[in-house]
Amino acid sequence: MTPQSDMGLIENLLQFIGVFVSFSIAYVAYRGVRHTESSSLLRLATAFVFLGFGFLIEGLVGLGQIVPSLPVSPTTVVIGGLLLETTGYFFLAFSHAIDVVLSKRMGAALLVFPVVTLTSIQLQDILGILSFYFVLYGVVETVYSYARTRKPDTLLIAVGLSLIGVGTFFQWLSLLYQYVGVLSLLQIILQEMGLLILFTPVLRFAVGGVKVNGPI
Amino acid sequence: MAQYRTQVRIIADVLSTARDQNTEGNGVGVTTLLRKGNMSYSRMAKLLSELVGSGLLLELSGEKISKYMISQKGIQFLAAYYSFEDFALTFGLRL
Repeated sequence: MTPQSDMGLIENLLQFIGVFVSFSIAYVAYRGVRHTESSSLLRLATAFVFLGFGFLIEGLVGLGQIVPSLPVSPTTVVIGGLLLETTGYFFLAFSHAIDVVLSKRMGAALLVFPVVTLTSIQLQDILGILSFYFVLYGVVETVYSYARTRKPDTLLIAVGLSLIGVGTFFQWLSLLYQYVGVLSLLQIILQEMGLLILFTPVLRFAVGGVKVNGPI
Repeated sequence: MAQYRTQVRIIADVLSTARDQNTEGNGVGVTTLLRKGNMSYSRMAKLLSELVGSGLLLELSGEKISKYMISQKGIQFLAAYYSFEDFALTFGLRL
């Protein structure tokens, strides 16, 4: 095996960690939806379902396991995976129901950047940069929420989202500068670190254990 | 800015009041629930009927007035509610 194929294999295996973490968070959030009928948790569950399938597709394409069986090119499948990921980040960003002036200002500020960056016609670039801004929005909202609640776990989630944000930024950079495998690996590592941090409350939830005999 | 309570939040508030205010063990009156629940009598009456029907509250019928006590299922529901609330809060969300 060449070092490049080793790196590719590591990248794809890391994607599957993302799949596991995403579906775990989605599962806990979905349980929360069943018990509380919360729309916020529904959006959170939806976000991680999309992210999970996005990572799954990218991981599978990377491993070359589904390409022969599909009548579409690998590029199309990768774009499909990226589209799912971006949709996931969209739901993650807008699952925040906090109605604050700060959010509106920051949201408006973030809209300035795409005008500068959406000059490329490459769909992957667009999806990459959209993911970055959605995550950035999520970080802003989570930090604002931490400022209100002072809950340490919320700060941890903000750190996790920030790592994912930097990861998506590197993902976008790696699309711009072809053959930069290191950037791509760095993106996956940061993304997985971020996802593992997001997994912390799920772990605590699993250890604490909540049992209710069905929804009310 | 005022934050509207969801239906499940209102249920959790009523149940926690029924649990916390039941110091003497003979239930909590509607007046106490109304005061803590911050809602109209007709709405509270309808909600109490639903909660008793779903087994989250127990109705203790007296000579003149009924009193309410949280059931085991209600305690379980509250524990789950607070747990999911904590989970949502960790992600910076409100239930």
